[in-house]
Amino acid sequence: MAADFWVSSHYERWIVDRATLHQARAEDIQFAENPEYLDYLPIYFANLITKLGKKLQFRQRIIATATVFFRRFYLKNSYCETDPFTVIAACCYLAAKAEESPVHIKVIVAESKSLFSQESYGSRPFSSDNGKIAEMEFYLVDDLECDLVVFHPYRTLLSLCKKEASDSSSSEEGETEDLGVGIGPDDGPRYWGTGDGQLEFTPAALQTAWSIINDSYRSQLCLLYPPHLIAIAAIYLTFILHPPTRPDSSPVAAEHISADGARRRSSRQAHNPPRAAATPKKPQDPIAFLADLNVSLPAVAAIAQEIISMYTLWDRYSEDSMCGVPGVGTPSGEGADADGGPDGGHITPSFLSAVLLRMREARVMDASPIAPSVSRPVAVNKRLERAQAAG
Amino acid sequence: MLDEWSSNILQHDPMLLYRHKRDGNHRSVTSKYEILGFISSGTYGRVYKARSLSEGGTIHAIKKFKPDKEGDVITYTGISQSAIREIALNREIDHENIVALKEVILEDKSIYMVFEYAEHDFLQVIHHHSQTLRASITLTVLKSLTYQLLNGLVYLHSCHILHRDLKPANILITSAGVVKIGDLGLARLIYEPLQPLFAGDKVVVTIWYRAPELLMGAKHYTKAIDCWAVGCVLAELASLRPIFKGEEAKLDSKKNVPFQRDQLLKIFEVLGTPDENDWPGVVHMPEYQSMKRLDHFQSQLVGWCNSRIRGPQGYDLMRRLFMYDPDTRLTAKDALQHKWFQDEPKPTWNAFQTIPQQQIPPHRRITQDEAPSMMPVPQHMSQQGVGHAHMVAFGQSQSKPGSSASFASLSGGGGHYGAQSGGNGRKKARLG
Ligand SMILES: Nc1ncnc2c1ncn2[C@@H]1O[C@H](COP(=O)(O)OP(=O)(O)OP(=O)(O)O)[C@@H](O)[C@H]1O
Repeated sequence: MAADFWVSSHYERWIVDRATLHQARAEDIQFAENPEYLDYLPIYFANLITKLGKKLQFRQRIIATATVFFRRFYLKNSYCETDPFTVIAACCYLAAKAEESPVHIKVIVAESKSLFSQESYGSRPFSSDNGKIAEMEFYLVDDLECDLVVFHPYRTLLSLCKKEASDSSSSEEGETEDLGVGIGPDDGPRYWGTGDGQLEFTPAALQTAWSIINDSYRSQLCLLYPPHLIAIAAIYLTFILHPPTRPDSSPVAAEHISADGARRRSSRQAHNPPRAAATPKKPQDPIAFLADLNVSLPAVAAIAQEIISMYTLWDRYSEDSMCGVPGVGTPSGEGADADGGPDGGHITPSFLSAVLLRMREARVMDASPIAPSVSRPVAVNKRLERAQAAG
Repeated sequence: MLDEWSSNILQHDPMLLYRHKRDGNHRSVTSKYEILGFISSGTYGRVYKARSLSEGGTIHAIKKFKPDKEGDVITYTGISQSAIREIALNREIDHENIVALKEVILEDKSIYMVFEYAEHDFLQVIHHHSQTLRASITLTVLKSLTYQLLNGLVYLHSCHILHRDLKPANILITSAGVVKIGDLGLARLIYEPLQPLFAGDKVVVTIWYRAPELLMGAKHYTKAIDCWAVGCVLAELASLRPIFKGEEAKLDSKKNVPFQRDQLLKIFEVLGTPDENDWPGVVHMPEYQSMKRLDHFQSQLVGWCNSRIRGPQGYDLMRRLFMYDPDTRLTAKDALQHKWFQDEPKPTWNAFQTIPQQQIPPHRRITQDEAPSMMPVPQHMSQQGVGHAHMVAFGQSQSKPGSSASFASLSGGGGHYGAQSGGNGRKKARLG
């Protein structure tokens, strides 16, 4: 039943355990020069999908659906054996249709081409042939086993939290619009059961929770946990950032989360300084409220933990423009080993694009009928060098 | 450097390894099913009768979607919105009174949806009674068909799915007499839609079954449109002809939706012209001014039902399904509880249980498919077909190893539904 998560394809077929997640990367690990870099790829790809989605003027939910499609696809496939850029374009194309907001394939192709040809992504040629994306869409639907209805945490957030009426007009900007128009409050019975009523959230706090949910797509959480638990974890983290019982909620709260994780990173934080947040009229005990929900609190804690780890990882990652250190993140630089990395400064898209390309080259070489494959798991760099020397 | 082969792949065909792997594992439609014949062609595809080559030879209906193409130019533009809907929704639902989707096979740019097979449909039952038996459908059968239809609709609505195209041709019946709602190609999840329903499809529901709020230009509509259609279907089963058989006004060149004058008149002639008492919202409808210019009618529904539905409860159910105000119209759930179904004779789960064998409508006719087809063809020819279709659709790409038959036909063709030509009201007008 499409309205009930517990009998949905999402719940029945697409919530996996960590071992499955790990297994899905087995081949990539073989071809990666340093498996640690693989940890950054979920952020790298989620950012790319978000960028493409914004260019296509997608609503947040379409971006989220596209990201879930992408993650599910790579449960069954390897980065090194596919072209993730083609996959991203197809995921966006399909997600728009699945969310009943179709975009013409020509537009998808044009925007993908312009985004992926940027230096950060290796200035790669991206085919302007619609057929390539259409073909990919076919394989994608097949790999997704035709399960195209995806549940997201946004719905739970909105059904659990009511925006305080008083100053709702103050933050009409940006995503809050999504709250009103895109996704209405949940009028059905809450299938996982709640305590009573709704949480009182200031618009700023609601925005924070919303942003944390957006950010959660940079991790693999959407494959591990039901969306309503992710929403509750986001609410829980929001309480730490916007403690509702302390009128003087200070930025100090942010430091609890991680060095400067959620605060600095969350997309729209800047619009809503913490001063404006918090302080509902009558104090509500949020922890008691969460405890009353009929959900597993250890699971919520684990999700919160994972989100924090993702922020920590994301802290070491920066877009190219922000990275002023020369030499870091240069694609295919002089000698792969000197190519930056976790200790050489920030991980950048350029750097990861190069890592990805080398993985894919190594994989193709392995399959090449001309270059005889060298036994694994010798460091692929070595193999590459040898191949280069030979060529 | 990378060798030439490798760099060529990365540059020009970066999904090659993936495709090889996938195509290698692919099991083609014809390796799994024997195509027995062609059933019908609808707006979006062609439907075939097929026998499974495993599992004891179960019979299925395979719907092959036409590839989405633009104009006459064969540029492949991806999977149609309609196919996406039908696939996505079918994967989430499971109910006795909804046609079950068994599997989806994606092959050579075409989508094959494999459904459980239903031997009959409401339209065919209606034709059988009006043309062959020349008698009305018995009350028990009438109740049974309506009850099961409502039972399926209650399920869809409880899943927040609007069908949006209920009509006799889309409501199927198995040989065991079980009603199966089919064709979710226009159906939509109305749970928190990102786009208002109106934005996606300007025209929904085949004109004869279209609810007054849609005809009056409402931008917002609800599950009540499906309940109106049920009313129309019930009336058609009872009288063996469409109750509101209007002429559809065509879209103008700018694809504006015109005022459906004739269809509204057909409704008013039976139900009377609505006023604010019947339907408080009517004055806010975009077409209200146009409506006021039409002739005024009194309701004739009592008389209509007297000769056709027999009994006060049948009339009462019709009346409630035909409430003008969508907010007071009977819901599917309430309709299912209606007293008409509790009175004798009661509906049966095998809708044909009470009628003699010879009155059961004949089996679905199947024909050889005239157009480029799925019908078995000699192997050498089919190989050629695939190769050619690949060239047309995807330019340079190679024919895939797993495929064997010539499915990649890019034409829609013009099949027909047995002897039944429905007239224009049976065809739905759909906009992209
Ligand atoms: N499961 C089935 N078993 C037997 N016949 C079927 C089945 N599904 C569809 N058909 C036949 O094929 C016809 C067309 O199917 P369907 O309505 O799904 O396609 P469509 O392209 O959406 O057509 P339309 O535009 O007429 O609604 C049906 O009217 C029916 O005669």
